[in-house]
Amino acid sequence: MAALKLARAGASVCLLERGKQPGSKNMFGGLVHNCPVLNETFPDFWETAPVERHVYKKVLAFMTPESAVSLTFDNENFDRPPYNGVTVFRPVFDAWLAQQANKAGALLLCECTADDVIRKDGRINGVTVKGREGEIRGNIIIAADGALSFTAQKAGLRPKLQPGDMGVGIKLLLGLPEETINERFHLVRDQGADVSFLGAAGDIRGGGFLYTNHASVSIGLVMHLESLKLSEKSPYDVLNDFLQYPQVSRLIKGAVPLEYSAHLIPEGGYKAIPPLYTDGLLVAGDAAGLCYTNGINVEGINLALTSGALAAETAMEALKSKDYSAKSLSSYKKKLDASFVLKDMKNFKHSPGMMGMDRLYKVYPQIIAGIMENLYKTEGKPRPKLLKLIRREALEKVGLTKLLADGFKIGRSLL
Amino acid sequence: MNIEDLKQLTQFIIDGQAHITVNQEICKACESRPCVKACPANCYTFDEVTGRLSVVWENCLECGTCHIICDKGALDWSYPRGGYGVNYRLT
Repeated sequence: MAALKLARAGASVCLLERGKQPGSKNMFGGLVHNCPVLNETFPDFWETAPVERHVYKKVLAFMTPESAVSLTFDNENFDRPPYNGVTVFRPVFDAWLAQQANKAGALLLCECTADDVIRKDGRINGVTVKGREGEIRGNIIIAADGALSFTAQKAGLRPKLQPGDMGVGIKLLLGLPEETINERFHLVRDQGADVSFLGAAGDIRGGGFLYTNHASVSIGLVMHLESLKLSEKSPYDVLNDFLQYPQVSRLIKGAVPLEYSAHLIPEGGYKAIPPLYTDGLLVAGDAAGLCYTNGINVEGINLALTSGALAAETAMEALKSKDYSAKSLSSYKKKLDASFVLKDMKNFKHSPGMMGMDRLYKVYPQIIAGIMENLYKTEGKPRPKLLKLIRREALEKVGLTKLLADGFKIGRSLL
Repeated sequence: MNIEDLKQLTQFIIDGQAHITVNQEICKACESRPCVKACPANCYTFDEVTGRLSVVWENCLECGTCHIICDKGALDWSYPRGGYGVNYRLT
């Protein structure tokens, strides 16, 4: 996005890609959220971009190995443009986006891994490249090199990442006939479903996701790295357990595995955002830790696209004034502060604290499932009223003090 | 999904040059070796007999989990040279 914006504004731009083609190294859950920058940049985005399905159905499911309590939201307003979100394949979508930058005049260099930053006169003015060996020099470098961003690290903007601030996403792409997907998820035309599963990763802090594409579903897990480490489990074993939950297995029955992938996700939230600029360099997207979840929203790609556009805007101003200093580039932070990107991240700054509650991932889904079971179970015994049921389940499994503490954390994060 | 089938599912363009190297001294002394379990691609194996940690970097998904999770600084981890390594086609 940064390269595209810069090229359209008339700057001389070089876009470095470490894969064979853009997107060949990228993976995400599957959903590109609606965001103004996409609609402004491509007025006909929904017609021209290579998207799979638009999300019409949102489902939040609380899972135990035996049961699931789901909240399904079907919304006609999500069924017309601008769609609230669309599923895409990154190797396809990113290649398309890079092609747009290329058409606008950006030079696209594939098979180029940015290895280190080059400094001159106290500021960064290039990177060394491995693959097609060499150096690329420029007045401004925009580091959009993903969650691990070695460029931001080598520029001295952040220390080595810690497992407590990161999650790993793993995903299995499963092929299913289009009609089968439509039947199983109650969809028509290009309508899609986005399902979030809580209680999907056993004792590990994390959750499951499922997105429908035209003729495949993307299914996987996101697991907090520190928690994964403590569990001493292998991600693919946890995934296999998840796929065998009855409520999941019937959705994917008969599916053919097409591709398996893994990627890190910044989970540290607002507090973990590193300095976003230095002399000659700006950091955008995952590289800048711009990613958050509050348990309900899981956002990253919209923050990445927007930060890329704002980095380009800042770079254009710096190019015009021929001032590439940190002071000149500091307007990038102000632009981000004024946009939904940092406003949302700041607003949900307590969410990582809430997401750190282990009970959220196993005990609470069990409580919710327990309440529902007792609510519906008929066995010829006197039926308690709802409040008594809730009190019994919650107090038995958690206890009042912890319940209040958790309630406080959830409230602080979301209310 | 059987992780042994990884190579049938995901495409790799293999470089002759390793992008991960292991410090055998540190790994031999490490008690937990979280890399072995946490790697989503099952790239790491510890041989109890020889005390060696081997890494099949050819199957690496380049996620960086091992790089972040190792608290002993035993892994020299970088991205593969441009054009090599995992090559996602769909995902």
